[in-house]
Amino acid sequence: MAEPLVVIDRVVKRYGAETVLDRVSLEVRTGQVMVVIGPSGSGKSTLLRCLARLEPIQKGRILIDGVLSAKGTEDEGPAPDKTGGHDIGMVFQSFNLFPHLTVMENITLAPRRVRGMAAAEAETQAIELLRRVGLEDKRDVHPARLSGGQQQRAAIARALAMRPRIMLFDEVTSALDPELVGEVLKTMRGLAEQGMTMLVVTHEMGFARDVADDVVFMDRGAIVERAPPDRIFSQPAEARTRAFLERLLEREGGTRRER
Amino acid sequence: MGSFRFDMVVGYWPDIVDGALLTLKMSAVSIGLGLVLGLMLALMRYSRVPWLDWPAYAYIEFFRTTPPLVQIVWLYYGLPMFFGRDLNEFWSAAVALGLNIAAFFAEIFRAGIAGIDRTQWQASRVLGLSLTDTLRFVILPQAWRNVLPPTGTTVIYLVKGTALATAIGVPELLRVGQLISLETFRPVESLTIVAIAYFVLTYPIALAFQAIERRLAASRV
Ligand SMILES: Nc1ncnc2c1ncn2[C@@H]1O[C@H](COP(=O)(O)OP(=O)(O)O)[C@@H](O)[C@H]1O
Ligand SMILES: [Mg+2]
Repeated sequence: MAEPLVVIDRVVKRYGAETVLDRVSLEVRTGQVMVVIGPSGSGKSTLLRCLARLEPIQKGRILIDGVLSAKGTEDEGPAPDKTGGHDIGMVFQSFNLFPHLTVMENITLAPRRVRGMAAAEAETQAIELLRRVGLEDKRDVHPARLSGGQQQRAAIARALAMRPRIMLFDEVTSALDPELVGEVLKTMRGLAEQGMTMLVVTHEMGFARDVADDVVFMDRGAIVERAPPDRIFSQPAEARTRAFLERLLEREGGTRRER
Repeated sequence: MGSFRFDMVVGYWPDIVDGALLTLKMSAVSIGLGLVLGLMLALMRYSRVPWLDWPAYAYIEFFRTTPPLVQIVWLYYGLPMFFGRDLNEFWSAAVALGLNIAAFFAEIFRAGIAGIDRTQWQASRVLGLSLTDTLRFVILPQAWRNVLPPTGTTVIYLVKGTALATAIGVPELLRVGQLISLETFRPVESLTIVAIAYFVLTYPIALAFQAIERRLAASRV
């Protein structure tokens, strides 16, 4: 088997005295879709943020395609390679588009400034991406004019424009009106089908069941269980996983359509 | 005395124009210096890195809490005492006022930058944008909207504040007014014509800022 694309190796992350990630280890292979579930405050967002290098880690290491991407500040050893940087794309719950720029400008800014892409090339690429997320007619519109679902799809296009090898999604449908969730999930399914490596924090169990290769259950800063969706949903190995899934089903039961 | 004799001072208009030009030049230098230094100080404060934040904090509070007139005098008489070199009257006043106004700009900019959601920084960071690109293309263009009105007020305040340079003999507008007053024994008329000149200088600035604000508001979707 090939080297995993992402190696998270005994990562410890603390905020002050609080340990938010407690020796978390996880490997993701190229093309895999990993869905991360777990109660609020269990460290899911923090894990993604550490992967995206938005937060330093105190111990452990993160390797992307065999290259050291992050290393514990309390550990000895060589510093991580910061040159290879833009291999990770991230999409946030609150979209975080640049409100003063048009959709097109949102998508072309980083390729032009970071990758040094010519304006024409960046625009051609953006048009192709907008087609992929179904927003080809919104290129010159500012984000405030878009629905939440459209904003989130534009945010996905913006992240893809940097041609990342891994995409991180942090509860990207949680802030959306229920009727807009489907269009964003559809875009994500499309990405998965095209072979994108994805780490997805979500409460959308339908998406997890259909798309995920593996589901990871996190609780209190640790990975409790990792298994393919059919197994983790039908016969979770850990009591904590079962309890969480039961609570989730109770809460969602009947109120939301299966997606 | 008695009646208002504007005719006695009107003839001095070429001196007024000279003074006004010098006031304008001094304002431009001070504002330029103040904007650049103010932005740097704001970023130092915003960085939350102690060895950047703390000196910036000390600078801002020092210049905000001591009189600008004293700062001008310090620079003009103090510089040669400590460094054996001096600046002429114009540059002493212009630089001192620039250093002073930087503290006010810094606070305006800091508030403007702090008003931009942290998630905008994160989104930029994940996209790989450098710090300067993030500021240039993401943060500052948004901060402008909040920063513009108080910046306009501060600029106008500074233009009038250059009158303090009179204290070290810079022949700017107020100084010219004083000289006319000494020659004509008409202080009220002399200062009135000076006031009109200040109005002519500052009102277009106020209008310009209002126009930019209106355009920004209109472009907001
Ligand atoms: N910037 C921060 N400063 C301090 N504590 C934080 C910060 N971000 C998250 N935490 C804490 O870390 C824990 C995990 O948070 P998070 O990763 O957001 O959980 P999840 O995404 O699973 O809900 C929580 O207890 C939260 O309070
Ligand atoms: Mg979260």
